[in-house]
Amino acid sequence: MQQLLPALNDHNLPWMDTIHPIVVHFVIAMAVISVVFDLIGVVLRRPNLFEVSFWNLLFATGAIFVAIIFGQVEAGLADPYGASRTILNLHSTLGWSLAGILSVLTGWRYVLRNRDPETLPLPFLAAGGVLAALVVVQVTLGNQLIWVYGLHTVPVVAAERAGLI
Amino acid sequence: MAPSVLQAEVPIQQLGDWLGPNDLPYSLPIHPNLVHFTIGLFVIAIAFDVVGALYPIEKRVFRFLALPITRAGFHDVGWYNLLACAIVSFFTVATGFFEMLLAVPLPGVTSSIGLQSMETMLWHGVGGVAILLAIIAMTVWRGYQRFLWRRDMGRQVQWLYLLVGLALFLVIGLHGTLGAELAAEFGVHITADQLLAHGADLRDALP
Repeated sequence: MQQLLPALNDHNLPWMDTIHPIVVHFVIAMAVISVVFDLIGVVLRRPNLFEVSFWNLLFATGAIFVAIIFGQVEAGLADPYGASRTILNLHSTLGWSLAGILSVLTGWRYVLRNRDPETLPLPFLAAGGVLAALVVVQVTLGNQLIWVYGLHTVPVVAAERAGLI
Repeated sequence: MAPSVLQAEVPIQQLGDWLGPNDLPYSLPIHPNLVHFTIGLFVIAIAFDVVGALYPIEKRVFRFLALPITRAGFHDVGWYNLLACAIVSFFTVATGFFEMLLAVPLPGVTSSIGLQSMETMLWHGVGGVAILLAIIAMTVWRGYQRFLWRRDMGRQVQWLYLLVGLALFLVIGLHGTLGAELAAEFGVHITADQLLAHGADLRDALP
């Protein structure tokens, strides 16, 4: 597999910086704002916000597959150590699960929107709440990988190459 | 040789007991998480206004996909996402400055674009305020187009607005690279990097 990629730099990456954290901007922000706009749309009775939510949700669903592709490549090159191995496993599992959950929610939303774009059933709002909670958990796991364990940062990669970790 | 005005005491040491090994009073920094919203919302806002502007070209594609669309719906995404972006970004910049005041970049590092840590932080700090101003200006501009100048028009945005938005993608991309380097190269607020810099063995310090 590694022969398919360019040479690795001091981040242990075949490209300049980690790409996964950039792609996840579009999953995190779009999924969460979709739930927020749904909530505001219901509370303030503004059905045009449901349309904004729908497009954000659709975009989050497309983006999560791109995030997973880069996430898997970069996870494979991450050399996790200590407890970060478990965190990375959880992050990968929840990442794939969120791809499934987002896809199902988007399909459900497509049907709801085709039937009546002006209303939003409460069960969908509840499902959105679950989605937002899972995204928060997923973001926390990802945060720990970079901000606590420093995976793909230059000092950690250097220490690993020196056999210090 | 000019006399040095640098003090022996580093001011951040005054907060020593309050801060963890990552130089923050909490383990995960807040600013990078708000950045997801600033960047995601801005990019998607402009992207959907582009889709709305090119509506006459693409409507056949959406019909082929059996995806019902309205032009006003695309422009609603462009407006509300930008509005949300403007609101969140005040907090993005505020937490960014708080966390940058507490930053202890690793010494002796030059980033992959050739800057040292203080230069990188100055560019990222001043650039952050400039981008916040640009986002506010874009939101006001967008509001004028939506509610006054182009209220009765199908295409709710001027081509110039979209062009400025796309140019800001480049600025934000470069700006984000500086921020990413503060973390992944200068080790700012990364527990493992700071522990390594203090000579700790991560096998014991981060089991």
